[in-house]
Amino acid sequence: MYIAAFTWTEFAQQITAGVRQGAVFAGLALALVIIYRSTRAINFAQGEMATFTTFVCWSLMNHGLSFWAAFPIVLVIAFVGGVTIERTIIRPVENGPVITIVIVTLGLALLLNGLMSVIWGGGNRPFNGPFSTRTIDVGGVPISVQDIGIVAVSFVLVGLLALFFRFTKLGLGLRAAALNRDSSELVGVRVGWMLAFGWGLAAVLGAVAGMMVAPILFLDPNMMQTILLYAFAAAVLGGLDSPVGAVVGGLLLGVAITLLGRYVGFIGDTLKLPTALLLILLVLLVKPNGLFGRVAVRRV
Amino acid sequence: MRLKLALEVLGLLALAALIAVMPQLVSSFTAYEMATVGMYFIALLGLSILTGYSGQISLGHGAFMAIGGYTTAVLSVNGVYGHHIRDLWTIPIAGVVAGVAGLLVGIPALRLSGLYLALITFGIAVSFRQIPLKFDHFLGGTSGKVLSLLKTPFGLSATPNNWIYYLTWGIAFVLLVAAWLFVRGKPGRTLKAIRDSEIAAASSGISLARYKTLAFAMSAFYAGVAGSLYAIARGFMNPDVFPIVLSVYLVAALALGGVDSFLGLIVGASAIYVLVNRTADVTQWINHLPAVNLNPQRPGMPDVIFGAVLIVVLIILPTGVGGALRRLFGPLTSRLYSKS
Amino acid sequence: MLAAAVPVTAAGARPLATPGVTSTEIKIGSSVPLSGEAAIAGNVARGIDAYFKYVNAKGGVFGRKLKFVYLDDGYDPGRAVNNTIRLVQQEQVFAMFSSLGTSNNLAVRKLLNDAKVPQLYVSSGATTFGRDYKKYPWTIGYIPPYSEEGAVYGQYVVKNIKKPKIAVLYQDDDYGRDLYAGLRRGLGKKAGAIVSKVAYDPTSADVQPQVTQLKASKANVFMIFAFGKFSLQAFNAVSRLGWKPQIFVNDVSSASALMSIVPQNAANGSISIVFGKDPAAPGWRRDKGIRLFQSILRQYGADIGSRDLQDGYYTAGMATAYTLVDTLKKAGKNLTRDGVMRVATHLTEKNNPFVLPGIVIHTTSTSRFPLTQVKLQRWSAKSWHPFGKLLSIKP
Repeated sequence: MYIAAFTWTEFAQQITAGVRQGAVFAGLALALVIIYRSTRAINFAQGEMATFTTFVCWSLMNHGLSFWAAFPIVLVIAFVGGVTIERTIIRPVENGPVITIVIVTLGLALLLNGLMSVIWGGGNRPFNGPFSTRTIDVGGVPISVQDIGIVAVSFVLVGLLALFFRFTKLGLGLRAAALNRDSSELVGVRVGWMLAFGWGLAAVLGAVAGMMVAPILFLDPNMMQTILLYAFAAAVLGGLDSPVGAVVGGLLLGVAITLLGRYVGFIGDTLKLPTALLLILLVLLVKPNGLFGRVAVRRV
Repeated sequence: MRLKLALEVLGLLALAALIAVMPQLVSSFTAYEMATVGMYFIALLGLSILTGYSGQISLGHGAFMAIGGYTTAVLSVNGVYGHHIRDLWTIPIAGVVAGVAGLLVGIPALRLSGLYLALITFGIAVSFRQIPLKFDHFLGGTSGKVLSLLKTPFGLSATPNNWIYYLTWGIAFVLLVAAWLFVRGKPGRTLKAIRDSEIAAASSGISLARYKTLAFAMSAFYAGVAGSLYAIARGFMNPDVFPIVLSVYLVAALALGGVDSFLGLIVGASAIYVLVNRTADVTQWINHLPAVNLNPQRPGMPDVIFGAVLIVVLIILPTGVGGALRRLFGPLTSRLYSKS
Repeated sequence: MLAAAVPVTAAGARPLATPGVTSTEIKIGSSVPLSGEAAIAGNVARGIDAYFKYVNAKGGVFGRKLKFVYLDDGYDPGRAVNNTIRLVQQEQVFAMFSSLGTSNNLAVRKLLNDAKVPQLYVSSGATTFGRDYKKYPWTIGYIPPYSEEGAVYGQYVVKNIKKPKIAVLYQDDDYGRDLYAGLRRGLGKKAGAIVSKVAYDPTSADVQPQVTQLKASKANVFMIFAFGKFSLQAFNAVSRLGWKPQIFVNDVSSASALMSIVPQNAANGSISIVFGKDPAAPGWRRDKGIRLFQSILRQYGADIGSRDLQDGYYTAGMATAYTLVDTLKKAGKNLTRDGVMRVATHLTEKNNPFVLPGIVIHTTSTSRFPLTQVKLQRWSAKSWHPFGKLLSIKP
């Protein structure tokens, strides 16, 4: 009865909110895809890794560093952390069944989440991000600098990553290692380190996503859990082995659930997650490898 | 072969005897705690049929437990046409409702390979809790449904705690024997063949679809029964009673206990109980280690330990849960309880 | 049924002792979230614990020391039931006290009443805990009911805001709906001033879409009936959307620690209710009660940092603990569960140092809402400032 009438201004603002959410989903989904391509498993600890590095950033800022001073330090820490995780706990189970890797990452998620509670405690913390919450006027619609900043950072990151994969030797090596391990090894690609590099890269992507949303969601150990669910959905939607799919899937999902939640009364806020799930299930039934995924041939 | 069968039967009988005398040995509240362990055990049994014998992964079994719990809550509190069903009789119904739900998930699951299935079932675990919130007039929303008090029926002389203990472990024993017979028989062998190589199994004329869906439905049935018992024991249902992390704990406990060692599952079930209800005690226990002084009221430590143990166990057994844990537990239990 | 066999004391002593009460000790139990989403609210129990230790150091209650056993339930009612059964049967507590959360208290109400164990001063503003005493005589609430809080905001709007157009963001459960229903009642004939209302789900990633929608209704009054981080996000969204409504924020979400971390251009001028003294507000810095609070917490609290000394959850815990100690004292030397319920339902407490001056904590056998007086407060310069007279609410 009290549903506000449709206005174009609000519609534009809702789209903005959707794109901003979608950009964060896309960042985390991309991290999932990179790990999937290197390890053939889903990293359930991706969300907690992101939150953990965001906490590191918070600690650095708490010690007087500005955001942009802390930012590169955090990225390095994230990268080293990701590589270390791959080398120490993923490597030994790498050739085991998928379920083993999945459970190891679940164990890692529990461990990191507990560790954050132990080190930093529960409760929400303010996180002063790099962007002001001020609004600017875009064609008559007030849009916050923060939203624009988050979307911009995400896009720049994705762009850099695309260039890296396409034009650098390291990037090519990574792609080769993901596509065909044995042949890559034969042509001299150090596959083991390539996979670790993939984990490092994913950790960096997660860290950026975490630092971008923390000013909006406020920092606590469970901050990325809901986001990770949507990132899973986005990655599956786009196809687990397709980076392009992850980005498109993330943006699509962000906009779709925002609009569905707002304009379809029955769905509202309560049924957003189930709706996302249902959409993905439908996609998977038609295209079992997602929208952009390659069809794998199974061997006996 | 015959010796092995005899040993297995003997083992089951010993377990039955142990279950029967246990309440005489422990306090009333401990019996109540053990009943809860039994509920997790039942859910793990179901999960082990699914994962251990058909190779499918489900990260959504908390949702099937919740379906069982809600079935019991609705039938006993709302009733059917005003007729309230006694909670005890709702247990098999709860199992069947969850089983049907499992069947419905099992059918699309056929088209999904391992990881996609893990993600979709995880999505189900997360999504299911929204249903009681959306249909709160019927299912109670966050304020939940208050069931009747746990009471011993039929004028039996047991305390309510012992009653729920015997009820749970009685059902657990029956379901354990059922699972044992199932695994020993043709369906079990078929499922194993599917787990080891789907394509090879299909080429030798096994109907993948039928068996995989059957396994899903059966494991959901077990989870539903467990959820129903849990709701009866707690006397309350709302979406937080079966939190999302429970689905994760179940899979992790399965890995810890051994995916196809039924007895190891009791260890896994106990681990879940401790993790959910005895966290402060775990921290206090760690404080006995030298140079450790943690505040037991500070959260997080139990998760750190559980996560670390999980990782270490899986790394030490690099060939995977299905193969290596069986080998590890082999000398202890597999010879008794699993047909390999 | 639930209380395990009562231990029979040695010959010569009273034949039936009260569980949890010995000549040297009174054992009190509680189930609270120390982990999970609502973990910060667990500080209520830590505040209680510190206050009990302070009372013990001063000799206890009739020479008996208070022993407070509080267990973590992670806000999961299933765990709350398990904790409560453990506390009643294994730990043999005298009473359950100040357990937190509406559903967690609903989950154990039947079994505590069946076992005739007092369920004292529950930490929930659901009306049922004060209202349904005929069915549940062993249960009593403490804080003002949420619905009455909503009504206070409604009445304020009617009196003070010209041409109000109200937008409401509320949590999609009984808690949020109670506040909303109260608001409508308080508005009375002016309920039509509500131009839009949107619910959010507690599993939401972010409430910005909801706030965007509310803003589009061109409202000039914004009611935030939220919980924890969602109210933070709501303030944040208001700021980011460039919206400038008069904000009302419900008590549970209005802790100074929360308000001081949201964008201040949105927070300034917000209105809420208050009944406890806020240790973070400069107006109370020299107050005797707050000084007592801080010295108790420093001396008897565990793991206390400077943040905790300004944390209103600790003060709230001490306020309740003060009332419980008062109740136990008035129940006399010969402590029984019946006796304590009689006192708890015939209470007049005028000097609780942790609630606003002038508030009288009052109950009768038919009015089981101990706290029914509140003030309004306004946020400015990074702290709350109470204003106006004490308002009485009649649940």
